[in-house]
Amino acid sequence: MKTITILSGKGGVGKSSITASLAVLLAEKEKIVAVDCDVDAPNLALILGVEKFDKEKVISTNEKAFVNEKAKDCKEIVNMCTFSAISWNRKKGLPEINKFLCEGCGACQLLCPQGIELKKVKNAVIGEAKTDYGFSLISGQLKMGESGSGKVVDAIKRKASKFDADIMIADSSAGIGCPVIASIRGSDFVLAVTEPTPSALSDLKRSLQVVEHFRVPYGIVINKYDLNKKFSKKIEEFAKQNNIPFLGRIPYDKKFVEALVNLQPVIKQDEKFKPIFKKILNKTIKYLGVKSKNFEC
Amino acid sequence: MKIAITGGKGGTGKSTVATALAIELAKENKVLLIDADVDCPDDDIVLSIDTKKVKDVENMVPNFDKNKCIKCGRCSQVCKENAIVFVKGKIPFLVPEQCTGCKACEIACPVNAISEKKQIIGKILSGKKENVTLVTGEMKPGIEESSLIVNAVKKYIEPKEKNYDYIIIDTAAGTHCPVIAALLDVDLGIAVTEPTPLGNHDLKLILELMKELKVKSKVILNRSDIADKKEVEKTVKNFGIKIIAEIPYSKKIQEAYSKGIPVKHKAIKEIIKEIKEIK
Repeated sequence: MKTITILSGKGGVGKSSITASLAVLLAEKEKIVAVDCDVDAPNLALILGVEKFDKEKVISTNEKAFVNEKAKDCKEIVNMCTFSAISWNRKKGLPEINKFLCEGCGACQLLCPQGIELKKVKNAVIGEAKTDYGFSLISGQLKMGESGSGKVVDAIKRKASKFDADIMIADSSAGIGCPVIASIRGSDFVLAVTEPTPSALSDLKRSLQVVEHFRVPYGIVINKYDLNKKFSKKIEEFAKQNNIPFLGRIPYDKKFVEALVNLQPVIKQDEKFKPIFKKILNKTIKYLGVKSKNFEC
Repeated sequence: MKIAITGGKGGTGKSTVATALAIELAKENKVLLIDADVDCPDDDIVLSIDTKKVKDVENMVPNFDKNKCIKCGRCSQVCKENAIVFVKGKIPFLVPEQCTGCKACEIACPVNAISEKKQIIGKILSGKKENVTLVTGEMKPGIEESSLIVNAVKKYIEPKEKNYDYIIIDTAAGTHCPVIAALLDVDLGIAVTEPTPLGNHDLKLILELMKELKVKSKVILNRSDIADKKEVEKTVKNFGIKIIAEIPYSKKIQEAYSKGIPVKHKAIKEIIKEIKEIK
């Protein structure tokens, strides 16, 4: 199975909208599985019109530290916690752990084995659904205030890799931190989405540094390119100078918002967008190294 | 007063609101703007501020003493981040980007063969414009644990906080660790959202998080006219809070944003009025 990952650095540039349309097109000719790696704020299910998951499973990828009475002699753990999650409760004469800050690294438990216990926490739910477009979607949701989003992304991708499909298309979250790194890791191609604003370009460059780090080949798509054509040119220039494949540009159109409101991919909202996405897909497929039928533009 | 600008979904206008609010408040107050979106900080770009590095952010990573190491692999076993690779009979080696500096390996090593060495994981930058002091946290690309940088920024500003009337914290998108770290001790969290099903879905998540963290929350509806806003209104009502301002879609705002000019809009004044009432 080959994996295409869609990322952007900056949020709100259109990752999920683009992923949904590409997935629907791709599924016309390939066996695919779609994955929403934004486990903080997953939106792909909404765009693909999935109202309810067929299967849901609570998973545990993280542990957290819990204090018992015997921790009274372990004052030293207060200052050693890298995540500043431990304070001293004078009233109780015991250390206290802030559950929102504890990352479950286990360092305090190693220092104070009698007073600290590491327990598995149920930190996420993974959902599986068959979309109206013939392919399955795997999506995750981190529980409120829980950590370990990178490991949840790993779990979702592991699940998706067991599906009978040739291509996995994964929608990553914003940023460049652990969940995004987990999305990039093991991908065969990264499709980086940007928009013609200085912020988006700056964030794109930061995320491409991470992609480079993992030596995954990538290409660039400019969304809403006509909001600032001059700046779009600048981005294309940047791609050219750095020998980055330029995969295509998508115009700004109110139909994108309409599609979101109607909970469907924009190519279903209006057929006129199909050729634009087909072009992007053809180029992507070429770089992915899959022998695939050409999508007529 | 410490105010976080957040939202759940990315690209709803957090930085636009945070910078505009900072500029407007700074006309009569001392304002510190913190860019806590350490993955992708953009407030310096939005405000066209040339920031300068004031500090490196470091964490401590393990350094293996080849002479003391007995090649038992205990360090690799205790590392929850899988940052230590151990092959039987060999000295372990570190995948530094994955290391959070938690020290579990150092504590677990039975022969004290692990010492600490510094690793740079990001930097803190600062600059000024129209009475607004900007402090930005920036994570080094490839590093995983964004919240370490957010915490370093918070530590850096702590002794300076008393010099300011308002501290505005622009958070990252999402609801995970770096957002939690940014929201933990604020007086007010303002969620910026848009009236799409996606905006509404993610708004529920961030409001739920703030409720859990016991942070007082308000909502700003950006691009309020691009879709029907009744679902967002319903959400806000369910949480027993209110929308303090609506900003309609405008090409002018979009253009200003793409040129690095802070946005001016009458809604910003409404927001400030609400903030002052809370204060």
